Amino acid sequence: MTYPIESGQPPTPHGSAGDVNLARVWTGVAAEVWRRHPGRIERTAARLLRSPALARALLTTPSLLLPWLISTVVVFSVGALVSLGPGQPLVWLVAPAVAAVGIAFAYGPAIDPAWELSSSCALSSRMVLLTRAVAVFALNAALGLLASAASGAATTLTFGWLLPMTAVCTLALAVAVAFRSAVVGAGAGVAAWVIVVLAGQAASGQVTASVTNAHAYLPYLAVASCCAAIVIYAIRPERGLQ
Amino acid sequence: MNVELAGIHRSFRKNKAVVGVDLRLATGVFGLLGPNGAGKTSLLRMLGTVLPPTSGEIRLLNRDPRGVTARREIRRRLGYLPQNLGYYPSFTVVEFIEYFALLKEMPSSAVPKAVATAVERVDLGAKAKAKLRTLSGGMLRRVGIAQAIVNDPDLLLLDEPTAGLDPEQRVQFRALLRSFGESATVIVSTHLVEDVGAACSEVALMSEGKIVFRGTPDELITRGEGSGVGDAPLERGYSAVLSAARS
Repeated sequence: MTYPIESGQPPTPHGSAGDVNLARVWTGVAAEVWRRHPGRIERTAARLLRSPALARALLTTPSLLLPWLISTVVVFSVGALVSLGPGQPLVWLVAPAVAAVGIAFAYGPAIDPAWELSSSCALSSRMVLLTRAVAVFALNAALGLLASAASGAATTLTFGWLLPMTAVCTLALAVAVAFRSAVVGAGAGVAAWVIVVLAGQAASGQVTASVTNAHAYLPYLAVASCCAAIVIYAIRPERGLQ
Repeated sequence: MNVELAGIHRSFRKNKAVVGVDLRLATGVFGLLGPNGAGKTSLLRMLGTVLPPTSGEIRLLNRDPRGVTARREIRRRLGYLPQNLGYYPSFTVVEFIEYFALLKEMPSSAVPKAVATAVERVDLGAKAKAKLRTLSGGMLRRVGIAQAIVNDPDLLLLDEPTAGLDPEQRVQFRALLRSFGESATVIVSTHLVEDVGAACSEVALMSEGKIVFRGTPDELITRGEGSGVGDAPLERGYSAVLSAARS
């Protein structure tokens, strides 16, 4: 606070050096010295989203930060290298779980330390949540597909996990939003996926049944739709913290 | 009128945080006093459009915040410092303030200068590039004040803004409040009565969710004459009004 303590008054509009407004000059200099120059990714995101604020919010997503991304790549690489059997790399198993955890940790009162402050800002919290969730899902799907393709898995295994991943991710997001806890959301997503895999194996005798069984696709879609509806309902503006 | 409240109630399950508050405020610095749990923070959160009222009518900056478009416009012209300022430890001071300037949808071209002005106004120029994790509690509070004023708000809501500030900084902060009060509505929630006496043109005292006194600091002092407990005249007025309200 730059006001003189003795007077407790705002500074005069003009500085003391003749006609030069020193305060304004200094602010201009400081603005240039301190200004942050957005990187290429942020500039591209701002153009695509038509909002510098949304781009900045996207790049501050906890589960899109570098340490998290490195961890994700490592897990997918391990999934591509380790196989349960011939032509059965583990990518199909780890992808939905990793994505679910990432989405649960994308945004929310328990994750964003400045949640209350963000809630008082013009940029809609729902828009931030939606953007971050879509970005995390897309990135995990892309990394999973790359790992799956690199591992040389059969086509059904390469693409079969995308639908279960959608269902598990929306479930994790719905639980995280409804219970306002990323840990609970992530736990629910991973637990649901483990149950589905084990149930598929128990029913058919095949460990990959949860992604190769076409009869399961409709239930996956139904779960994803219901959970998406829950998310939309839970983050409606009228509900407490917006 | 920048703030118009009529019959505002807010409950959290069985706990009534705010009970039937009516308030109309134009420009100036308005102090909100009261003991812990009096409902000050709940009232400020409702004014900050963070918390909806259970019942009652709110109009802010001549708009109804229940409408999506109106709420967005209010938030663009709002500055809010919550009681517990959450922050991103890896952000620098400038990055944090810039982030909230963008979330308030300020034009990108205006952001760097607005950030520099806000940083200078809270005297954090020397720490502009410092990570938030390296700052003291008082400095973090000033960062919070800077993000609140970065958009030159028409409605400035500050919840315990002087917590953690040293006496010199508090004196400077009061001058900042007075300068904002000339063109905006500033509402300061605090339990430090000396801040109210020095900076506020009007004061309200809350107890158990209700406003039990409203007037100038001098009128509050008058209430404490010959009664009340406290070392300073305002403290005596504060305690006298509270005692009367409780009895």
